[in-house]
Amino acid sequence: MSKSELFEERELMNTGHVGCPGCGATIAMKLALRALGDKTMVVIPACCWAIIAGNYPQSALKVPVLNTAFATTGAVCSGLRAALDLRGEKDTTIIGWAGDGGTFDIGFQALSAAAERGDDFIYICYDNEAYMNTGVQRSSSTPWGASTMTTPGASWKRTQKKNIVEIMAAHRIPYTATANIAFPEDLERKLRKARSIRSGLRFIHLFASCPTGWGFAPADAIKISRMAVLSRAFPLYEVEEGERYTINSGGDAPVYDYLRMQNRFRRLSDGDIAMIQEHINREWERLNRKARG
Amino acid sequence: MKTLLEGSQACAEAVRLARVQVVSAYPITPQTHIVEELAKFCSDGSLNGRFLCVESEHSAMAAVIGAAAGGVRTFTASSSQGLALMHEMLHWAAGGRLPIVMAEVNRALGPGWNLWADQTDSLAQRDTGWIQLYCADGQEVLDTTLQAYRLAEAVNLPVMVILDAFFLSHTWEPVDLPAQEEVDQFLPPYAPRFRMDTDHPQSLHGVAPIGVYMEMRRSMQLAMEAVPELLERIEEEFFARFGRRYGPVDPYLCDDADVILVTSGTAAGTARVVVDQLRAEGQKAGLLRIRMFRPFPVRSVHEVLKSAQKVAVLDRNCSFGAGGIFASELRSALQGGNPVPVYSYIAGLGGRDITVETIRDCFALTRRTDRPAIESVWLGVKEELLK
Amino acid sequence: MTPQDAKLPLLPLFMPISSAPTSANRTGSWSSRQPRYVEKTAPCSVHCPCGEDIPRIEMLAVRGEYAQAWRTIMTENPLPGCCGRVCFHPCEGGCNRAQFDAPVAINALERFLDDQAGAGPLPAELRPAPASGRRIAIAGSGPAGLAAAWFLARLGHECEIFEAAPEPGGLLRYGIPAYRLPAAVLDREIGRIRELGVRIHCSMALDEELLRKTRSRYDAIFIACGNGRGLGLDIPGGDLAIDGLAFLRAVRSGGLKTRPADESGPRSAAVIGGGNTAIDVARTLLRLGIAPTILYRRRREEMPAFSHEIDSALAEGVRLVELSAPLAIRHDSQAFTLTLQKMRISEPGVDGRMRVVPVEGETRAMNFGAVYAAVGARAEEPWRSLAEPEGALRLGHTLLFPQGPAGLPVLLGGDLVNEVESVADAIASGKEAAIALDLLFREGCGAITPGLERCRIGGGLSLSMEIYQGGPRRSRSQRIVRYDDLNPDHFTAAPPERGDSLPSAAAAGSFAEIEAALAADRALEQAGRCFNCGICNDCDNCRTFCPEAAVLLELRNSGRSDPERRITYDFCKGCGVCLTECPRCAMEMEEAAS
Repeated sequence: MSKSELFEERELMNTGHVGCPGCGATIAMKLALRALGDKTMVVIPACCWAIIAGNYPQSALKVPVLNTAFATTGAVCSGLRAALDLRGEKDTTIIGWAGDGGTFDIGFQALSAAAERGDDFIYICYDNEAYMNTGVQRSSSTPWGASTMTTPGASWKRTQKKNIVEIMAAHRIPYTATANIAFPEDLERKLRKARSIRSGLRFIHLFASCPTGWGFAPADAIKISRMAVLSRAFPLYEVEEGERYTINSGGDAPVYDYLRMQNRFRRLSDGDIAMIQEHINREWERLNRKARG
Repeated sequence: MKTLLEGSQACAEAVRLARVQVVSAYPITPQTHIVEELAKFCSDGSLNGRFLCVESEHSAMAAVIGAAAGGVRTFTASSSQGLALMHEMLHWAAGGRLPIVMAEVNRALGPGWNLWADQTDSLAQRDTGWIQLYCADGQEVLDTTLQAYRLAEAVNLPVMVILDAFFLSHTWEPVDLPAQEEVDQFLPPYAPRFRMDTDHPQSLHGVAPIGVYMEMRRSMQLAMEAVPELLERIEEEFFARFGRRYGPVDPYLCDDADVILVTSGTAAGTARVVVDQLRAEGQKAGLLRIRMFRPFPVRSVHEVLKSAQKVAVLDRNCSFGAGGIFASELRSALQGGNPVPVYSYIAGLGGRDITVETIRDCFALTRRTDRPAIESVWLGVKEELLK
Repeated sequence: MTPQDAKLPLLPLFMPISSAPTSANRTGSWSSRQPRYVEKTAPCSVHCPCGEDIPRIEMLAVRGEYAQAWRTIMTENPLPGCCGRVCFHPCEGGCNRAQFDAPVAINALERFLDDQAGAGPLPAELRPAPASGRRIAIAGSGPAGLAAAWFLARLGHECEIFEAAPEPGGLLRYGIPAYRLPAAVLDREIGRIRELGVRIHCSMALDEELLRKTRSRYDAIFIACGNGRGLGLDIPGGDLAIDGLAFLRAVRSGGLKTRPADESGPRSAAVIGGGNTAIDVARTLLRLGIAPTILYRRRREEMPAFSHEIDSALAEGVRLVELSAPLAIRHDSQAFTLTLQKMRISEPGVDGRMRVVPVEGETRAMNFGAVYAAVGARAEEPWRSLAEPEGALRLGHTLLFPQGPAGLPVLLGGDLVNEVESVADAIASGKEAAIALDLLFREGCGAITPGLERCRIGGGLSLSMEIYQGGPRRSRSQRIVRYDDLNPDHFTAAPPERGDSLPSAAAAGSFAEIEAALAADRALEQAGRCFNCGICNDCDNCRTFCPEAAVLLELRNSGRSDPERRITYDFCKGCGVCLTECPRCAMEMEEAAS
């Protein structure tokens, strides 16, 4: 069925922004705002989007933006929410829009506190798997096997990517889910669901590929993102109340094909890749056990 | 209504009277009574606002920044380590031009752990763009907090209301608690100059390129320079309504004094006793209490100290590698004015009592020393521990 | 109590607050690569002798726009009801989806669309151009003649068809049995052609005498009389075999639709041959209560009949004896004795077909109640002799004699000249003849070849009438989209389906149509399996995934419901995501002119 029948809407993200060609994070923002609409406010910490959001006097978005310091997304959203509620603007959606650095690492504390407080906003971590804005340094979201500027050469990252959704599920927030820019309808559904839940924090872990940092052709930004899901390196799933798991994706594509498309994995041997495949298989099995309940 | 209030309570009552809507704080001794009192007010409805419990001071300031950007009146409080942790966000609040008011309880920084009065914590934040007002008693804490909102909202810079650990925060004093209606007349509802608004979407606090950053900073400096006059006008109104005023500085018997002691906070109360004693002994001693540290009250100090022969500064703080901070600021401020020698003394760090003897020593040393050392003189130090 | 008015002055405030849109930045200057929408040619439409715009047909079908889908078929092929039942669907053989899971059920969908939208008067879009004053005589009302008349009439030329048989249709009526193609369907299709003003004279063959009499009436002649005369068996007793085509004709005209009550007729029959006619004869015999055995000199896999027809025949109970060549036929009392030579496979001959050679000394005799020959056919005279390439212009599906008999331009088409003898190829002949004549009339003989070239699809032989008439299809690139050009990430495996068929046992009991149409919901799903190779089907992936929001969607004002997409090159950074995510290769990346 033709999607063009459904919308001829105004994008809430402006063109002319300075994102890299093929930037997954900009596709992510565009799709997120399509789902959420213009009664939305966005809190952006230090990350690629802090730059993409625009230099004075420009803004890349047609919704209000509050730029903030790196570690503070969770806290600023809480404060903003309190203010809006006190002003009677309860229908405005607040989204924290942070990268993996500002979520998994420096921003984690504030995120955890917001989750524990049960604050009413949607925290979206758009994940390009490293500190990209500062020039591709590793974060705790960088996957095992990746080369970055701080895990260079033979010292490629030998620790696993932190499982942020499991951590958020352990906070027993009402809703957390993974999403991916190559699956726009799934993303839309999850954001609309998140928006409708007001009883606590909602956390979306949104996969956003990065041609510049991962070393692949910009034209493949969506393709690579899709491969991450279909190889189960990044499965799509939801967790409600920290315990009800629903898996939204499948696939058994070999992770080999996914990894070999990216320069950041160039140092891996076939044996290393086999280990990654085993890890993926184990994690998939674990996820399925949780879904079976 | 006159009532007996702890310094912390006086602060909390002022926040309630100011109709603050969002309070977010992280507990740290000796600020805790302030925030506990406010949590109670929010819980029992005497303050129609929200109390956000956060997991660190950095987040406390971030949360009130978020709330202020959302367009409501906000408050937080901290001390010592907490204030230090907040440092990045202090810059952010000021650069963000948000009229946040914070109570800062002057407490020593560790290591070693020390809970007691020391001004180094707030003074270490003197470059952040916050207005700093040092209080000497409970009434002043209450009054200054109310004035702080008026001032902050006029200049779009945040204000720190500072009180000594325990000596002020935990001391009970008689305080005149104004009625809500009276405060409402003095402090109108908050009308933000900008806020997050879906009807007028804007991006706040984003990238300021080389071509505009300096002007944005100049704007902050110009706001600071407008503070003395604005504070005076605000205090005029406050005086008219409540019968009290404080000024940027509080001089005592300075007009004919030859030696004037400059100090701040609760030590000033003791110093006043000493000045009275010395006057009774025939010395022309004077006291200048500095209330407004940021912006530094250059004109006021020039005026008060214009005829002094010697000035002694008693700092309850130290900038390592330099010395007493009030002394160094005063020395700079006096440039081009009365070339009076400034004697710098450091005492009372980490809650060490500043007694009548301590202050008498200040005066005595100042009188008998021809020229002041560049280095600050530390009073009451146990030299044997340093061998 | 009035508040004391200590109105404090409003200070200037310069701080980071921004709202000017970033669209002031012409980020298109970052790259000289510019993606464009360039629709291309699908392989199915190239394989289709009629050049039907299949991806567009299926796209319209998915949207439920059956009438428009049907008109799209009719633009290139006036016999979708027939083709949707009897075509050997070479389109499916070229379908890119075959490399994903299985080809699209294009044939079944064509039948479905005709069932849905084929009734009623002709829509305005298909009505003829103003009369040109030209008149063409057409010999034969089979698919080639009917198609020629359809296309010529739409181009504004008057047509008269001369048909020797009592009813029109040619092989469609007299060769293909009713269980494959009911007469009602054929009659409806012929009725549409008549609606254009085409006159069909039945029981009136266009012979030389008739032509001479009425020569002044016509501006050209199209000969599409087909190969109506069956070849005989050149063996002793070969004249004892009944001609298969004649048999089928008799069944169709005489209405032998039920099993004869007469138990005295033949109970078994031999059918010699391996083509579609042999199969049709055998399955017809079955329905008349006679047990048929097909005898073929090669193997089943070498039989020229359509494979699914052979399957159906065998499932219905037709017996097949392979590697048996007839040597002689003898008739004694009630039975025919057929002497057969056993054959064996040898190396392939020059035509690539497996050669067979006799197995020395191995013959056998088989007895049958009747013997039928279906070993090929040829045209009636004088047209058969005429089909000589010397002196003629060989076009894709026709032979053109610019100065033919009676001094008129003559074209020959259909089985008479086509390498592949099929309904679709016959229709292709009709179309080619129509366009060639239109070019001849308007611009002269020299315009024919280049004019036809401009209408050819994907470098093949199939022509598009839409392109000839200047429709939107003319702006498509002739580059054929291959499977590797597609992005199959956007497709999900789903099996093909045709309509339900009667089970073989039931089917064999009557001449009722065996295959039903797809149900509407299944048809929708089946049309949805089409990748729409090379054309934009509004999936909107380009716009969804563009990181720059540089793909704009504008609803056209032209009254058509198709929205139009435009890429703003002021902002496009040439990343190429749109191209990668276009599932159907409807875009190209080009370098901007500096």
